[in-house]
Amino acid sequence: MDSGMGKPGSPADRKGSLVFSRKVGENCRHIAVELSEATAPSAPGQFFLVREWGVFDPLLGRPLASTVSGNCRLEFLFQVTGRGTSRLASLTPGAALELRGPCGNGFPAPVGEKLLLVAGTLGIAPFLGAVSALGEKVDVTAVLGVPGRGWEPFTEWCEDKIPGIRLNSDDGSLGRRGDPVEDSLTLVGPGRELWGCGPEAMLRELGRAYEKGCEKVLVSLERRMGCGIGGCLSCSITTPSGMKRVCVDGPVFDWREVFGEPLRN
Amino acid sequence: MSPFGTSLRTEVGGVDLDTPVIVASGVWPMDPALWPEGSLDGVGAVCSKGLTLKPRDGNPGCRIVETYSGVLNSIGLQNSGVDHFVAQELSAFSFAGRPIIVNIAFETLDDLVETVEVLKGSALKISALELNVSCPNVTRGGMTWGIHPESLESAVTAARRAWNGILWVKLSPQAPSVGEFAELSQGCGAEAVVVGNTWLGMAIDNERERPFFENVFAGLSGPAVFPLALRAVWEAAGAVEIPVIGCGGISRPQDALSMILAGASAVEVGTALFVDSRLPASICRELERHLREKGLSSVGDLVGRARR
Ligand SMILES: Cc1cc2nc3c(=O)[nH]c(=O)nc-3n(C[C@H](O)[C@H](O)[C@H](O)COP(=O)(O)OP(=O)(O)OC[C@H]3O[C@@H](n4cnc5c(N)ncnc54)[C@H](O)[C@@H]3O)c2cc1C
Ligand SMILES: Cc1cc2nc3c(=O)[nH]c(=O)nc-3n(C[C@H](O)[C@H](O)[C@H](O)COP(=O)(O)O)c2cc1C
Ligand code: FES
Repeated sequence: MDSGMGKPGSPADRKGSLVFSRKVGENCRHIAVELSEATAPSAPGQFFLVREWGVFDPLLGRPLASTVSGNCRLEFLFQVTGRGTSRLASLTPGAALELRGPCGNGFPAPVGEKLLLVAGTLGIAPFLGAVSALGEKVDVTAVLGVPGRGWEPFTEWCEDKIPGIRLNSDDGSLGRRGDPVEDSLTLVGPGRELWGCGPEAMLRELGRAYEKGCEKVLVSLERRMGCGIGGCLSCSITTPSGMKRVCVDGPVFDWREVFGEPLRN
Repeated sequence: MSPFGTSLRTEVGGVDLDTPVIVASGVWPMDPALWPEGSLDGVGAVCSKGLTLKPRDGNPGCRIVETYSGVLNSIGLQNSGVDHFVAQELSAFSFAGRPIIVNIAFETLDDLVETVEVLKGSALKISALELNVSCPNVTRGGMTWGIHPESLESAVTAARRAWNGILWVKLSPQAPSVGEFAELSQGCGAEAVVVGNTWLGMAIDNERERPFFENVFAGLSGPAVFPLALRAVWEAAGAVEIPVIGCGGISRPQDALSMILAGASAVEVGTALFVDSRLPASICRELERHLREKGLSSVGDLVGRARR
């Protein structure tokens, strides 16, 4: 299958202009950016460092997964958590942005025909593009976990983008009560590949899928970043196979590469 | 070939540069295949990341924090060791087609000399050695080499004896007097001084009520430190005959010009590349523009013009 997925395109710095910025619930934003020049196409899981153009405070670009990527148009879905993302959320259409990307290795095209996507809240972002990129060729099931009440606008937005997405919430107010890992474990089995994105504790738990005969588990990790291109070693992680840089060796890794060998029954 | 004119060519501390803009140590990949498109334009030379005798995993925990207009880093000199650098990384690094400045860090003088010996065995050209004296001297209880005159003197002298090539000393801004320490480096045989490295700072994680970094202190860089670095360059340039290379906070083309007017013969850019990989090219355009405006023919004519 040649969907071009997972292949790293060379990152470039681009100026962009904000096309729209829509609120998705209280704390999240869906934005679209028109680039001055095309970038390499990005695969699900690849990301961009996004910042307001020409501003030194906040300084660093914030790593965000591109949810939709065309030649000159990118979309992102992000949660407002601090200075950089609040600044991005305050921008109005026409505002100038600076973007570096596409960075890192995304999810490679799935080997099998059945794919399970497991996301914790904003971890859904890299999967939004995957679902459309994979189209009819692969049978995709998406599982989402959110804390609960207050996240309806977000889950409704996700349901609109990924019809049939399975909802889980900690308090049971939205979809099933429970966490997305437990839900996904009821679905995995031989021949199913699993991709995860969300809090690290959740990603670690996904290793249990191996016990159920799942052969391939891929996870997208997050670390604070400086350069985004493998130079500053801000994003290094210790793995059983040595030091790895999340920005260029990842962010998508084979579960075993970062967490070691899973326990098998 | 540099897209910039011959007016930007310069010789700095024994290294011929097409432009006076150098990529600082530790911020950019050594493999040019990872460089963003167009980011080599305007680059006159590149520094390697800080190399040590033995491989180092670097510091545990969080390694970078954004501050107001700056970043604090605590990478802890993660590198694969000088042997691996010479055997593997240097050849890819050389594809950049720019003079290579090898930055080294050391815990003891024996480490320093052994590291230099390995570098001497390299078949590929190393244009200069950049001695990072902001690392801890373990024989003096971990005190930074570059903040004590005898310590600095012993390191530069040892490096000078061991290395026949060009030697640059990258001073620590924590030195009590940048001018005196630059002079000391000159006296020990350095061909140039780089002024300077990161400024020690720290951050507290208020939620956890603990220092943010495992090592407590971390190095501050980026736009926030520019006025401090500019002052240090001014002091150093007033104290020595050898060239001073300005480094610290250069984030806009105008900053590089200011550094040169203050007395720097070349500049190094670091943190600003995190946000603008085309800064070296923009700096070159600004220098060319300024030369034309002032009717000058070469970047050398700009060095120290603000001191007249
Ligand atoms: C590869 C990758 C893809 C990501 N994709 C998305 C996405 O699509 N949508 C989304 O909402 N979030 C995403 N994140 C997380 C997002 O980058 C952080 O939430 C964001 O950087 C926080 O910035 P702030 O200004 O809100 O917080 P601040 O606290 O102001 O940030 C201060 C510094 O910490 C860094 N930082 C803080 N939290 C994180 C974190 N979790 N991960 C990385 N750096 C952090 C910031 O980048 C910044 O340098 C992604 C992270 C990575 C590494
Ligand atoms: C992430 C990071 C890693 C660095 N690593 C090194 C290093 O290995 N050796 C060194 O001499 N300086 C190192 N530095 C310091 C820079 O080379 C530079 O001197 C300093 O950051 C000030 O310049 P700037 O404000 O332009 O970044 C590092 C800086 C950063 C931000
Ligand atoms: S962010 Fe610089 S190496 Fe990953």
